[in-house]
Amino acid sequence: MRKAYVAVALMLAVSPLFLVLSDTVGYREPLDLAAEALGLKDISEEVNWTPFFDYTVPGLPPALGYAVTGAVGVALVTLLGRALQRMAK
Amino acid sequence: MGGLHIPDGFLDPLTAGVTYLISAAYAVYAFRKLRAEKARLELVTPLAAGIFAAQMLNWPLPGGTSLHFVGGALSGILLGPWLGFFPLFLVLLVQCLLFHDGGITAFGANLLNMAVIDVLAGYAAYRLAPKRCKAFGAFLGGWLGITLAGLACGVEIGVSSRLPYGLAVTVPVMAGWHAALGVIEGVITAAVVSYISRRAPHLIEEGGGREVA
Repeated sequence: MRKAYVAVALMLAVSPLFLVLSDTVGYREPLDLAAEALGLKDISEEVNWTPFFDYTVPGLPPALGYAVTGAVGVALVTLLGRALQRMAK
Repeated sequence: MGGLHIPDGFLDPLTAGVTYLISAAYAVYAFRKLRAEKARLELVTPLAAGIFAAQMLNWPLPGGTSLHFVGGALSGILLGPWLGFFPLFLVLLVQCLLFHDGGITAFGANLLNMAVIDVLAGYAAYRLAPKRCKAFGAFLGGWLGITLAGLACGVEIGVSSRLPYGLAVTVPVMAGWHAALGVIEGVITAAVVSYISRRAPHLIEEGGGREVA
């Protein structure tokens, strides 16, 4: 089980590199292409509720914000997972 | 990010509502099954953390697209159809609420595609594979899960558009692309399952390899 969390830490540590890489490619995803063809509009930014929108932290450079939000996300997933375990017992 | 995560604004109210209902019904039933799964319950949290971190890694591809591992099939193989729902549920919940990755109106649809369809496809392909071909079964599960989730995603946004030809546009684009991208999901799924079956075979035998009543 400890190995699983070592793997998680490694993935988080390299995640900013992936952010930079995929931004360099300027990627567009199939879902965006399909939605565009139909005139469907992503309204996430208009209805946004979270300061950590799209894995950013206000005031931090994007790469650092990405790693920080990754760690926060893992922590929250872990907390909720443990709560779920308790509920099931 | 994105991938298969449908954002706010893509789904009409009917599609959003129907997918919420289906996913809620699945969640309630899966939660009831949770009580009978005490031994493997402890695997839900580390698997959820691993899938969350893996989804942060967006691999850029030539041609200007990218993909990240989704993990639904892996969850289905390791934890079975009911318990396997929960790692993806936790990941999608945190992604949606904290990072607005995947819309709140599309949460039901995103659960249906990645926590139900992808999980079931992985579980079924792995279960049905002959004993000697389990690694191939895991590959097939990963590939099929992504392809079917992509197809479902195409149907959901296709029926949401008011255009009469909506489905004719979205289904080929989504199913076609994800049938190609799913090969990589299949390879990663097979690699992780093979690693675990060598290092900790009991996890798999008690999981997708076992009959789930």
